[in-house]
Amino acid sequence: MSNQQPVVSVRGLHKTFVQSGPWPWSSQRAVRAVQGVDFEVQPGEVVALVGQSGSGKTTVSRIVLGLEEPTRGEVWLNGKRWDGVPEARRRSRRVAYQYVPQDAMGALDPQQSALEHVQETLAVLGGLARVEARDKAEHMLARLGLGRRLHALPREMSGGEQRRVTLARVLALEPSLVVADEPTSGLDPDRRESVLEALIGNLPDHAGCILVTHDMAEARGWCDRVLAMLAGRVIEEVDLRHAEPRHPYARVLFDPWSGPVPRGPLATTGCPFLPDCTAARDGDAARCASEVPPLAPQDDPTHRVACFVHDPSSPSARRSR
Amino acid sequence: MTALVELRDLCIRAPDRALVDGVDVTVLPGRVTALVGPSGAGKSLTARAVMCVLDVSPGLARGRLRYPALDPEMDWFAGVHGGGMRAQERLLARTRGLRGAYFTYSPQAASSALNPGRTIGHQLAIAIGRRTDAPASLSAEIRRILDQVGLAHTASAALPRELSGGMAQRAALAIAVAPKPRLVIADEPETGLDPVLRRAVVELLVDVCRDEGAGLLLISHHASTVRRIADDIVRLRGPDGEEGGA
Repeated sequence: MSNQQPVVSVRGLHKTFVQSGPWPWSSQRAVRAVQGVDFEVQPGEVVALVGQSGSGKTTVSRIVLGLEEPTRGEVWLNGKRWDGVPEARRRSRRVAYQYVPQDAMGALDPQQSALEHVQETLAVLGGLARVEARDKAEHMLARLGLGRRLHALPREMSGGEQRRVTLARVLALEPSLVVADEPTSGLDPDRRESVLEALIGNLPDHAGCILVTHDMAEARGWCDRVLAMLAGRVIEEVDLRHAEPRHPYARVLFDPWSGPVPRGPLATTGCPFLPDCTAARDGDAARCASEVPPLAPQDDPTHRVACFVHDPSSPSARRSR
Repeated sequence: MTALVELRDLCIRAPDRALVDGVDVTVLPGRVTALVGPSGAGKSLTARAVMCVLDVSPGLARGRLRYPALDPEMDWFAGVHGGGMRAQERLLARTRGLRGAYFTYSPQAASSALNPGRTIGHQLAIAIGRRTDAPASLSAEIRRILDQVGLAHTASAALPRELSGGMAQRAALAIAVAPKPRLVIADEPETGLDPVLRRAVVELLVDVCRDEGAGLLLISHHASTVRRIADDIVRLRGPDGEEGGA
């Protein structure tokens, strides 16, 4: 897999938003939404971005799609530089990089049927002729289980059906990257499964997918790799089919009932999770308070954890083995 | 312990099929009863029936509803069966004084359920006004409730749009407990929250209800939540007979 060109390659990504007060003379506040994120998505791979609200996962996904510019760092898509490229030159490439929004109802035109949504996308972005677009749209909708709902308007569809229309519209373009921002939020567990099955089961073979989600069962069940984020950084990168999360915060995220609930606020220097951490031992605490732990490879080098307690080079980690 | 609500053999019908058939729910003071089941199983319908809100036609076909802590004998559903919408509307009017006082409802989407044009303090004052006994100092009582749900006193002057999702959820919870209800009905209070916040909100809901000695009827999809906090679980079957995952 490693000799293939990654679909997405993100290096040293930073994003700082400047918030100003209500008046011209109000002081400005810098919000550091993303603070040094690196990752790759390989063709055919589904990567989950998980974390609490405000952890920076949506910002990262928006930067990958070119909807935000990074403050620092680089984004490469299919081996070509993506950030900083003028929109006029990005425009023709955008069709390969598609976005599935959270709010399906808001993303659909209330006056267009399921078929018209997909057909129009194929005609405008895919450049297909009318008849061809119609055939392909019908085919895609049927594949997603909407074969009998071609002429339904958004308000006549259930929440799950509306989402599948947004998926059909994206998948029909055969993109090489799909970024889905909480595509199942607000659905009950059965419908969540069917929406994810429609998305991931119908991705083109060489497409990569970034799934932004709150739902840890989704990350576990559907993704090849999980990136857990806290305060704008990736704190653990893990393939849950082969390993369990080790970072104390990632463990809380995956099983919030396993220990005390983090009360916050997060630390501003050193490890952000330190105030709520139950794993930091005396030996580590001083280091945890002063340095931000880097993502350190574990026994399996694809499993990386940003925690001094689990850093193989740290003395306490060696002790605890 | 006298039950707060005792619903027996509830059956609600749509013209062509039974929406809920043979459901029993009991909630005791200071305890949590969870209502679980797949979508379409009638969880929300059952919770609404507990509040005497019936708005399906022909509607109530069978069932008895008692609030033993209020009146040990009275069956509130007496005479409503088979009476269609008219009888159900009469029941709704007759029980108006109970809603927001004997029991309160904490809705699914907190931020959209709050009144966007009124401050949290104002909305709390209205909720406190539903109590039978007025507190000595309204502002002190508002501060006490805000403390209880972990919101800063400054939240009193905030409009709902100035609160984050988690804070709005806490504010909705504060408004639900402010009338000092005997029973709180919470319809999926964790919807849309991240896992850590989800636990915090549910735990807070349970703690506040226990502190006040109120019973809690909780509708939830999340098996892990229900397993951890429910004292009693009522499982509803889905339209095709399957049971919920919880």
